[in-house]
Amino acid sequence: MTRILVPLAILEGESVSAGLTTLLEPMYVTVLGYHVLPEQTPPDQARLQFEDRATDALEDLAAEFGADEGTADYRLVFTHNKKQTFDRVAAEMRSDAYAIPGTTGPVDQLLVALTGDVAVDRIVSFVTELVGDRDIGVTLFLATDDEHAGQESLEAAAVTLFDAGLHVRTELAVDEPPLEALVDAAADHDAIVMGERAPSLRSLIFGEETERVAAESVGPVLVVRNTADRDDTADAADQPSPSDVDDS
Amino acid sequence: MGDTSPSTDGTNIEGESPQVEPTIETDEATITDDAELERTIGLTGGLAIGIGTMIGAGIFVFPGLAAGNAGPAAAASFAIGAVVALLVALPASELATAMPKSGGGYYFISRGLGTLAGAVVGLSLWFGLVFATAFYLVGFGFYAVDTLAELGIAVGNELVIPIAVLFGAGFTVLNVTGTENAAKLQNGIVALLLSILVVFLGYGGLDAAGIVGDPSAPEQFAPFGTMPILTTAALVFTSYLGFAQVATVAGEMKDPGRNLPLAMVGSVIIVGVLYVVTIFVATSALGSERLAELGETAMVEVGRHYLGAAGAFAIVFGGLLATMSSANASVLSTSRSIYAVSRDALLPKRASRINLRYGTPHVALGMAGGPILVLTATGQVELLAEVASFLHLIMYGLICVALIALRRNEPDWYDPDFRVPGYPIVPALGALASFALIGFMQPASQLIGLAIMLVTAGWYFYYARDVTLKGKL
Repeated sequence: MTRILVPLAILEGESVSAGLTTLLEPMYVTVLGYHVLPEQTPPDQARLQFEDRATDALEDLAAEFGADEGTADYRLVFTHNKKQTFDRVAAEMRSDAYAIPGTTGPVDQLLVALTGDVAVDRIVSFVTELVGDRDIGVTLFLATDDEHAGQESLEAAAVTLFDAGLHVRTELAVDEPPLEALVDAAADHDAIVMGERAPSLRSLIFGEETERVAAESVGPVLVVRNTADRDDTADAADQPSPSDVDDS
Repeated sequence: MGDTSPSTDGTNIEGESPQVEPTIETDEATITDDAELERTIGLTGGLAIGIGTMIGAGIFVFPGLAAGNAGPAAAASFAIGAVVALLVALPASELATAMPKSGGGYYFISRGLGTLAGAVVGLSLWFGLVFATAFYLVGFGFYAVDTLAELGIAVGNELVIPIAVLFGAGFTVLNVTGTENAAKLQNGIVALLLSILVVFLGYGGLDAAGIVGDPSAPEQFAPFGTMPILTTAALVFTSYLGFAQVATVAGEMKDPGRNLPLAMVGSVIIVGVLYVVTIFVATSALGSERLAELGETAMVEVGRHYLGAAGAFAIVFGGLLATMSSANASVLSTSRSIYAVSRDALLPKRASRINLRYGTPHVALGMAGGPILVLTATGQVELLAEVASFLHLIMYGLICVALIALRRNEPDWYDPDFRVPGYPIVPALGALASFALIGFMQPASQLIGLAIMLVTAGWYFYYARDVTLKGKL
């Protein structure tokens, strides 16, 4: 079962919509409740004060995702740096994707973005497992300057999904600003699937592309992680550190 | 929060018991039963806390005062301070890697030597940091007045204290309400300061050694004899208090087994070298008598001597940044040390409440900020510095004693990643040197320090006599 991380700013009342809960049914969901603290506050101090309240909320959320059936769990983290926390937990859980929750009703139409240097194979197999035999329409979207190559890679991905029994259509945006084109295309869809891209100068200046899409499109964004270069950290995280040994 | 761990027992006068839970420490997080605490401070961040806290005092405030007391031999005073700091930083590093928790020195001593020693040190550390911060703020006030003077607005030294108090109040309010991440800013400030200093000291060093510029007439090295070297070492030891501040954030340090020792020992060595070179350059430029007349901001004239108006401006600007970053880093560690004692039921739990609106520990920050303002208003630079050193030196000495106590009878959980070289000589020397340095202080500072310790001991017997902490991780 594919694992997906759902990070929620739990003490700020962030929650998930019913549409997302239903959409993620085929996945093993880890609800990552996090609380970002200013540097004046030691995380342990916040834990003493807020742990019980956060745990109650997380238990309820995890139950919605099927904790009782064994398809969901939760973790609670107090941190100064949420990006670092997401990366660490995702690596430890070996989760393939994470969700930016957004809000949506029932998901009937899914937009899958293949733009740029992303792991198309992994996105396609993620979508296959996510949709399964449910009646959810999939639109493959690609923004490019090279119409011919773009068309080809869209076709190839569409064929794979079609063979798996999904309803697929494709949408190609040529010579348009990629992000704006994606947000326009998202208008008649309920949720977006996209790949995580390596950090670039652009993302350093304007923020992560995925976050910007999520902010513009209201609905949930599922981000397939770019794990190729992260297997090392995942292994390191699983190794017990020397201080674990005598702790009991 | 109802269930407390069976590993601690005893309650304070209000019926609160220490909140200690079993945890698993990894390089990236602390894992408790139900939650994880991310470790987010790297080696750079740790060095920035250590260097950022220390550099303000040693370079920008003390050269004039120290040269006035000991002549060019003040360089030796700073070197003695560095050696003492290193002798303590090594044992402190071992304890910090064994117990990477918030609270630093307080935590080691309460676990190694018991609740009474822990309470005295923990509460004294709070006051020690308060004295140190007040001292940094007064230094800041002097630089603020000098900055105005460089800009052509002469306001005179009577504005030093009002400016210092105003900024102290501003810092406290910013710390309660500010949620943006100032850590990156702190790293940048420290990097900028180090660059200014390396350029300035590099040029000044070459000049003073007679390689460039006119040779200066060498002054007698120790015009007042050896005793002033030692008393000056006691005075300027305040410039080495920062490495202990690194230990107060030990619970948030990434890869603590590696980064804590490197940050603590590294920051002491870096600032120690810079201090000694600074004194050499400063006394070569102007002579110690002239430096003494110039007082707290003597370095500005040293900058003018070597590099003209640009040099003076660079030093004034650096001094503002450095004293500000020292004060800010100290306010942060003060609130962490208050949290550490309140978690262990040595202070009311209320002290570690977090403000719901800003997410900051407003009670602890207020308990730091209030006394800081009162002390800043006194404007007694030397007294503030010495009392701060006194209270820290007691803690340093006891850190070394705690290390020896723990090593002689190692508990099961005691498994430091870093072991101090030269055990037991290094910690024994560290303890002796720390206590000895106290002996060279002014009687007034010793009395105030002692009085604070007695009050904290009295508080322990009144409030938390039944709390047991020794040996509980």
